[in-house]
Amino acid sequence: MYNYFRFHVPLADVAEDLTAETFLKVVRAAERFDRSRGSAKAWILTTARNVLTDWRRRARLRQYVSIGTMHDLVHEAPSPEERLLREEEVGQLLDAVATLAPADREMIGLRYGSGLDTSEMAQLLGISEGSVRTRLWRVLGRLRRVMAP
Amino acid sequence: MSDPTGVPPQLADLDRALRGVRFDPRPSLGPEIEGRVRRGERPDQRAGRRRLLLVACGLSATIVAVVLAGGFLLARPPVLIDRCCFDLDGGGAADDGVTLVADRDAKVHRLRLYEDRDNSRSFSPGDPIRLDRGDQPSIREDSGPGLVTTEHCCLDFDGGGPNDDALVVMSVPPDRVIMAAIYERRPDRHGRRALETFPLR
Repeated sequence: MYNYFRFHVPLADVAEDLTAETFLKVVRAAERFDRSRGSAKAWILTTARNVLTDWRRRARLRQYVSIGTMHDLVHEAPSPEERLLREEEVGQLLDAVATLAPADREMIGLRYGSGLDTSEMAQLLGISEGSVRTRLWRVLGRLRRVMAP
Repeated sequence: MSDPTGVPPQLADLDRALRGVRFDPRPSLGPEIEGRVRRGERPDQRAGRRRLLLVACGLSATIVAVVLAGGFLLARPPVLIDRCCFDLDGGGAADDGVTLVADRDAKVHRLRLYEDRDNSRSFSPGDPIRLDRGDQPSIREDSGPGLVTTEHCCLDFDGGGPNDDALVVMSVPPDRVIMAAIYERRPDRHGRRALETFPLR
């Protein structure tokens, strides 16, 4: 879930706050969870998406300037220089994602942030698996164009 | 994410790059959330619900109550905030933190920039202090050549609640900090505001 938020917000601290907020909501609403309506994973992610929407609403007038610190980035770079290069590479990728429309960003966040497979995404979004694939490839195509020099 | 989705070949590298991006929260986040759950902490009220509550209380709340509430807020003790880790001194590594003693959303009493040498992700004895100032954001000394000014936004640096504070740091890399101050990035009624007009604290 933290990774999902991290694909949407530029700061680790904000992602941490949103993760905590989601868990607090999930725990408080645990009794209302109905397994017959979907998996726990989908339910938790739905809560996470609502938390993110609320945060966006509160933050819509705020301008965020990413300070480029990715201390939470998992990497296998053996040297500080390679780590910096890796951070820059990921920074460019996420900057490009940030320019996409909210619905496109959501596809990326669910797929690569949350690690959902096609069927899980289809269940969560209420669309067919074929539609998920089509949308995802379109979003990746748009991302490719954004990143093109 | 192991389903055979048949990524189009022209997008395969982008798909691979995105799959390779992974962030891990700090190890203490899990226990922290666990503690908050155990204490029965409530999630933040939504803005809409707050508005409804305000409307319900609305006009019935008297000016006296507002004044009393204001007095209570003013009487609250200063808070100690510790934020880590960023590259604040221009050294290239995200190993610097900032501690503030401040009135919530108001006056800064003390601001200190430190290097998190022991990687504790917070200030601990032995961490070198790069800047230690009182309640005024004054420039410490002649900067000399190579002065860099950076703005770090947005976090809750003053305990006010929302992540609406920015930290501005003037430094001479790799580790000499000349000035540091925070300010709130509240937009004006047109949604914009020039950086120079934000009062530094």
